[in-house]
Amino acid sequence: MSAIAEPVPVTVRAPRRVRTTGALATLARRRAALTASNPRQILVPLIGPALLAMVVAPALKVATGGLHSHIDYESFVGIGAVGLVVPLSCIFAGLSVIVDRHSGAQRELLAAPVPRPYLVLGNLAVAIALSALQVAVLIGLSALRGGAFHITADGVAWFAGAALLFTVFMYGVAETLASRIATQEEYVGATPAVAILPFFLAGALFPIGAMPGALTTIAKFLPLTHALALMRYAFVDPSGHGLHDIWGMSNVTVEAWLSLAVVALFAAALTAVSIRMFSRSAVS
Amino acid sequence: MHAIEAQGLRKTYPGGIEAVKGVDFEVGEGEVFGLLGPNGAGKSTTVGMLATTIVPTAGSARLAGHDVAASPLLARSVSSVVFQEAVVDRGLSGRANLELHTRLWGVPPQTAKRRASELIEALGLSELIDRPVHSYSGGERRRLEIARALSSEPQVLFLDEPTVGLDPRIRHELLDVIAGLRTRDELTILVTTHYLDEAQRLCDRVAIIHEGSLVALDSPAALLAKLGREILEFRVDGSAERALATLRDLGVATEDAFAIGARITVPLHDHAATEAFAAIDSGRLRVSEIATRVPNLDDVYLQLTGGALGEAA
Repeated sequence: MSAIAEPVPVTVRAPRRVRTTGALATLARRRAALTASNPRQILVPLIGPALLAMVVAPALKVATGGLHSHIDYESFVGIGAVGLVVPLSCIFAGLSVIVDRHSGAQRELLAAPVPRPYLVLGNLAVAIALSALQVAVLIGLSALRGGAFHITADGVAWFAGAALLFTVFMYGVAETLASRIATQEEYVGATPAVAILPFFLAGALFPIGAMPGALTTIAKFLPLTHALALMRYAFVDPSGHGLHDIWGMSNVTVEAWLSLAVVALFAAALTAVSIRMFSRSAVS
Repeated sequence: MHAIEAQGLRKTYPGGIEAVKGVDFEVGEGEVFGLLGPNGAGKSTTVGMLATTIVPTAGSARLAGHDVAASPLLARSVSSVVFQEAVVDRGLSGRANLELHTRLWGVPPQTAKRRASELIEALGLSELIDRPVHSYSGGERRRLEIARALSSEPQVLFLDEPTVGLDPRIRHELLDVIAGLRTRDELTILVTTHYLDEAQRLCDRVAIIHEGSLVALDSPAALLAKLGREILEFRVDGSAERALATLRDLGVATEDAFAIGARITVPLHDHAATEAFAAIDSGRLRVSEIATRVPNLDDVYLQLTGGALGEAA
């Protein structure tokens, strides 16, 4: 190698302090702006579940006579449709992560002086807000179509807790997949397995006890089963039939707390996994 | 302490691909430093390790004194990167992309606004800045990315192949913009390129990287001086290696003469061109397209790596 010409020493300048909460808000605002620039991402996940709640559920009620319990079938499916809208919404959000990686600003964000987990958490914040909006619209449409929801303060708290934790869990799944899967095509191919299959097993359209025993057992391990039972307990099923089907206990409040703990556990685990996967895959 | 310090920086990707095989260099404050090499030489991987977007397998690096492994946030806070590919939010406006950068780099809002106005003006973005980036041309997007990188007033700016894929007119416009950055005294620039004329035009010093290793590091003038003031270049009919050996035997060519395919390049050093022509005659070499010219960085690069390229050919 040639002789190295002597470089000039550097002046030490105090680095600018980056406020971490401000950075998180900036990342969330960015994701919100990108989502708003693509309204399809907001509307498309709603179409299927809205049809389910407003057309399919009333038709099935007429055709089958509804559930053999005091619970109104339209309301039952109205809540069940949340089990489709949240996964679809989160899967769409995960797709944005792949777009970011291939043709967006992900590398600029990786070069920014913010902790890398914030990139995941900023996206998660927007996924939660978007899912909340879609769930509110879905329940509203279902109520307009004749669904009977009993709204109480406690009920709203149970519903919000279950919906929030389930959204966190589903976004964790989506972000993990987005980190593990290279292309949008492969990612879309994985969607039915993670977003739609659990919907059919978790008691979205019928009580889990109506399925063969083995499938009922599997359903009890799905976070969606617990989330739907909690949301129905909150708004349409104060006796907690869905929670009894899972736990078989006599105290519905204890069952509700247990189901909430299960969903929280899944949410925490998948958030941790998604952050780890992102950090490992984004930085080679 | 230097603006950029790299010591034994090495990157081996899964599968055993050695992209960078342990590079050492320092860059002083205000210096424009070029990392020169062909595609796959390890330039972008080196920039990635310095910018903390790639984890080194071994070695260490510091930006303005901040270790990129031990204090990555501090290292990132004093640097900005213009990546080889477009790395922008295409659905957002140019201004939104600028604002995102200044917020993430913690620039106070008033300062950010002032800086954005200056840069938008300086880089000719006034007409575009509120349009979505997906409507920008390649050159416009590059200018936006440079403005974005400068908006946080970095001490170290990485420009990774900034002109690749641009048409000649836009490329020259952009080179002019980058040359203008040299006036910023506290800004250290590391630019990677495989265009040797860019390195010659922009850089105070150049490191030539080949297959993951630095094979030369000096000022462009010093690197060129090693080849003398004039070179002889010609095509040979038959074995180029044998012709080269003949010229060496006749004392016209030294060890720094090289062959790429059928084309032979002979730095003349103290010899006159007429001596070389006579040697070609006496060696009974059948040659064509014979000419003399002033050496450039292409010759330096090919001389340093030509053996490998010749073997590959």
